[in-house]
Order: sequence, then C-alpha cells, then structure tokens
Amino acid sequence: MVSASDSQPLKLTPATSGFVLAAAITVLFNTALACTKDAYAPLKVFMKSLSGHDWITHGLVDLLLFVALGVIFMQTKVAEKIDPNRLIGVLIGAVGIAALGLALWYAFF
Amino acid sequence: MAALWVFVEALNARPENAARIRIAALVATVCIAAAWICGGYWYVHFYPPEKALILKGPWPFAHNLFMETKEHLFFVTAILALLLPIATRENLYSNATARKLVLSIALLVAMTGLAVEGAGAIIDHGVKVALLQGESKGAR
Repeated sequence: MVSASDSQPLKLTPATSGFVLAAAITVLFNTALACTKDAYAPLKVFMKSLSGHDWITHGLVDLLLFVALGVIFMQTKVAEKIDPNRLIGVLIGAVGIAALGLALWYAFF
Repeated sequence: MAALWVFVEALNARPENAARIRIAALVATVCIAAAWICGGYWYVHFYPPEKALILKGPWPFAHNLFMETKEHLFFVTAILALLLPIATRENLYSNATARKLVLSIALLVAMTGLAVEGAGAIIDHGVKVALLQGESKGAR
C-alpha cells in the first residue's frame, strides 16, 4: 500500500500551483485595498457606488482577481517554474503579512 | 471544523480516504460561501446601528480595530477555502508536497477562521458594554 509517509517530494499540477500563487497575490492585494480605501475616502465612495456597499465590491474584486490570476497562471504555467516548497512558503508568508498588516493598520491608523 | 477535518484526514492520507478529503474540502468551501452570503447580509443590513452603538460606548476599539480587521480578514479565509478543493484534487497519498500544501491551507483556514470568530466575540461585547453603560446611565 502506498502511504504519504513513503512518498517523495513531487511537483504540483499547473492548476494547483497556479491557484496557490493567485491566492498569495490576492490576500496581499486584499490588505492593500483595505488600507487604501481606508486612507483615501473617494475610493471607498466609488466602491460603494458600484454595488451599494464597499465591502461587497471589495469581496467581488478579490474573488475576480483570484479566479482571473489562477486561470492565467494555470494556462501560462508560470507558477510551475517556482519550487513547490517555496510556493507553500510564499502562501504562508503572504497570509501572515496580510493578517498582521490588517491588524496593525487598524490599530495605528 | 471542516478545514480541521481535511487536516486530520490529510495527516493520514491514503487512497482509501482520498474521496473523503475532497468531500471535506468541498464542505469547508460551501460553509465559507454560506458565511460570506449570510454574514455579509447581516453586516450590510443590520450592523450599522450596532456600529453606532459601539462607537458611543466604552469599547470603540471593538469596531475600529476588531470589526475593521475581521471584515477584511474574512476574505483571506474565503480565498483559502476556495483554494482547498483545488489543492485536494492532487493525489495526497503519493505526493508529499501536495500533502504539505493541503495541511498548510487547512491549518490557515482554521487559524484565520478562529481569529475572525474571536474578533466577533469582542464586537459582541462592544455592543453589550455600550448597552450596559446606557442602562446604568438611565438608572441614575
């Protein structure tokens, strides 16, 4: 029987690696957009005008960015060129920076 | 909870539980999507009066710090939950890297989800202390 403990490090499929990179970029974009709309009121007003609430627009933009980048990276196989272990590190780092960035922004600004 | 289910199953990935891992990942995604829609509806339609109450009360940071962080950190959890079913399409029992990826994503979903839940508890207390302050002022 094959078990995970016996397995060797292997590459990820283009879909997985593409969407992992897309997720890392999207979570960082999410924090950047949150800070920008908080600091620049006209952007918040514009986002509110698009859907009725800036939070709804924010979520839709994140979702569209994640899907669009994921499809682009999957088709171009850009993320496949990155070492899979490094890609996992990039995702964890991006989530950490995004979460900490949000908390620090709202704590101090 | 479903993300933790994925984590535990992926720790012991075998051909026999591959389908179960994919189902658990889908459950996590569906639950987050439901939270996005239901929580979003509540936030957009019913939160503004609570926000006004919190900001007048003794715990304004419950909104200024915790709600502002929570409402945007939720998107991180949601994106990770959308990624989970894609990652679980890999053969985790024969690919150690894919297994490590799924374990990482599942843990990140659980951790950011808990942070969002914890922030929610503080926001609730922000409303509670504001109401208690109003009550005690009215009693005097």
